[in-house]
Amino acid sequence: MIRQVSLTLLAAGSLAASAGEAPPLYELPAAGSYALPPIDRVSEHVLLGSDGKPAPLLGLAHGRFAIVAFVYLGCHDAAGCPLLLAALQATDRRLAASPELRGRVRLVTVSFDPARDGPAEMASLRRALAPRGEWLFFTSRDEAELRPVLEDFGQDAVRELAREGAGESALRHVAKVFLVDGEGRIRNVYGSGFLDANLLVRDLETLLGEHSAAR
Amino acid sequence: MSIGSIRPLLSALCLLGLASPLPARADETCQSPYLPRLVGQEDFIYVWTLGIEGVGDGSDKLVTVGANPEREGYGKVVSSVSVGGRHEAHHGGPTDDRRHLWVGGLDDSSIFIFDVASDPARPKLVRTLTDFPQKTGGVVGPHGFYALPGRMLISALSNAKDGGGRTALVEYNHDGEFIRTIWMPEDASYGYDARIKPELNRMLTSSFTGKNNYMRKLPDLMGDAEAMKNFGSTMVVWDYHARKPLQVLKVPGAPLEIRWALGNDHHYAFTAAALTSKLIGVFRKPDGSFEAVEIADIGDPSKTPLPVDISLSSDDKFLFVDTFMDGKVRVFDVSQPRAPKVVYEQKIGPQLNMVSQSWDGKRLYFTTSLLANWDGVGGDDAQFLKAFGWDGKQLTPRFEIDFRKQQLGRPHIMNFGQKGLYKTQGQPGGEAG
Repeated sequence: MIRQVSLTLLAAGSLAASAGEAPPLYELPAAGSYALPPIDRVSEHVLLGSDGKPAPLLGLAHGRFAIVAFVYLGCHDAAGCPLLLAALQATDRRLAASPELRGRVRLVTVSFDPARDGPAEMASLRRALAPRGEWLFFTSRDEAELRPVLEDFGQDAVRELAREGAGESALRHVAKVFLVDGEGRIRNVYGSGFLDANLLVRDLETLLGEHSAAR
Repeated sequence: MSIGSIRPLLSALCLLGLASPLPARADETCQSPYLPRLVGQEDFIYVWTLGIEGVGDGSDKLVTVGANPEREGYGKVVSSVSVGGRHEAHHGGPTDDRRHLWVGGLDDSSIFIFDVASDPARPKLVRTLTDFPQKTGGVVGPHGFYALPGRMLISALSNAKDGGGRTALVEYNHDGEFIRTIWMPEDASYGYDARIKPELNRMLTSSFTGKNNYMRKLPDLMGDAEAMKNFGSTMVVWDYHARKPLQVLKVPGAPLEIRWALGNDHHYAFTAAALTSKLIGVFRKPDGSFEAVEIADIGDPSKTPLPVDISLSSDDKFLFVDTFMDGKVRVFDVSQPRAPKVVYEQKIGPQLNMVSQSWDGKRLYFTTSLLANWDGVGGDDAQFLKAFGWDGKQLTPRFEIDFRKQQLGRPHIMNFGQKGLYKTQGQPGGEAG
């Protein structure tokens, strides 16, 4: 079954990449022409990597950035986790092609569902998405280990009761992506209504300019 | 991993093939597009209510009304939480996860944050912010509360320096910490509503009046020709992401509530100008800029019916327009947005103000009360919540609550709640609902 998920996500990824070429209905503001004031602050956390070993989530360091999204492989919302993953994959491709940003940004995908998404499943997801840059996949030993991470980010997640005969229960959550700077400050939060790889990269360029100006 | 989990990914393939940037997720009619949509039957209506001296405890309160006919408490007050004192309770809105409801007071600029997730039938006041003017650099009158991812966007009405209409947009995080103030542009300095169309990266703002006017007795105000000049006559088109004003649109007569059409290819919005009784369409032009166009009269403008709240159905077909002075709702068919037609009209009751409708458009709720000092001008200071069914042709009464008789106060804005949003089974990161 893991192989089936991988193949599906591979297809999703390639479609997302081609969809990313469609013209948007707006022009992005120029990098550095706008402000991204700190929204909140998050701490470093250690969770299980896709190799089954504990590892730091964010890798915070001055001048570096992390883009964090929480997903789960059983997501039943077409406008939820699959879209987040597609946007992250498109972002990964753009970052890999950017001399200024390459090596400065860590993409982080964390599973909401440690009972079903173990390290092996996250490793499979990683293979399917074929990162070109630093893109790490995490899960946790159990929900108790995950809970403080969700609370720190302000990410909701509620397990819905399974309908009779519907199989596994689903997780209700608001699809969000968090942009974190090297000081652990959340500098933007994106919802699925306004999530575009070009926009993520533009924000990173804006923050990079801020970092360079401060040096 | 079950076969069932493959299905949504296949759905995603279809979706991803359609467009990029990713399409907006709409919400039940007038809420922020960043909220989880509340579909199906709402269980509760949270009514932010102004206290009246000598009525009950006289304090502003959040009143929870049962709205589900299948549940106990239908059509009745389920709970009520007084915040203590009168603050000119006005508007409010939920956070991006709908776990908290923020409501504001226009007089002293207090903001009250309720937990509506732990027990949706009995919201709990968990935080009160009392330093809004100090934190924001002199903004007063927190009016609109509009969820952004991880933040609350607050559109204000006035300023501490002169109590006039110059004001700002303000952002707070979910912990109630100030993020930033964005003052309105100098040539369109008044504020009221702020609404976003994410897929266009555009935000629209409208304009009302400052504290000197909205806290004044209405007859006094209307007799002061100079003061009556101090009402908004502009809307601003913003680059939402950059929070930069792009265009000022001239819309005389205090354009108030803004409703973006919800269809992904519907690139327009509606507003109603209160003082001129005009329905306004704001349309995106081929070059990406916007134009504001008068598209209809609301009632007889010469009689100043005073349109207040509007509500657009989720299919962008019907626009419900409430008018305060005659207590009527007029339903416009806005399928042709540049040529709307009134298809239904009904008197709901004296000093009608707010209207909220369910996502499926089958249920509408109306409340009274505009502002404490503006109510009761015609002598009838009725205060009610009325629920109706809508079948696409007419309204049918469902239930009514007299907020005066029940010693509650003046009901203003309504937000919906649903128990199912928080139904849990050993969930990560949340408490049982």
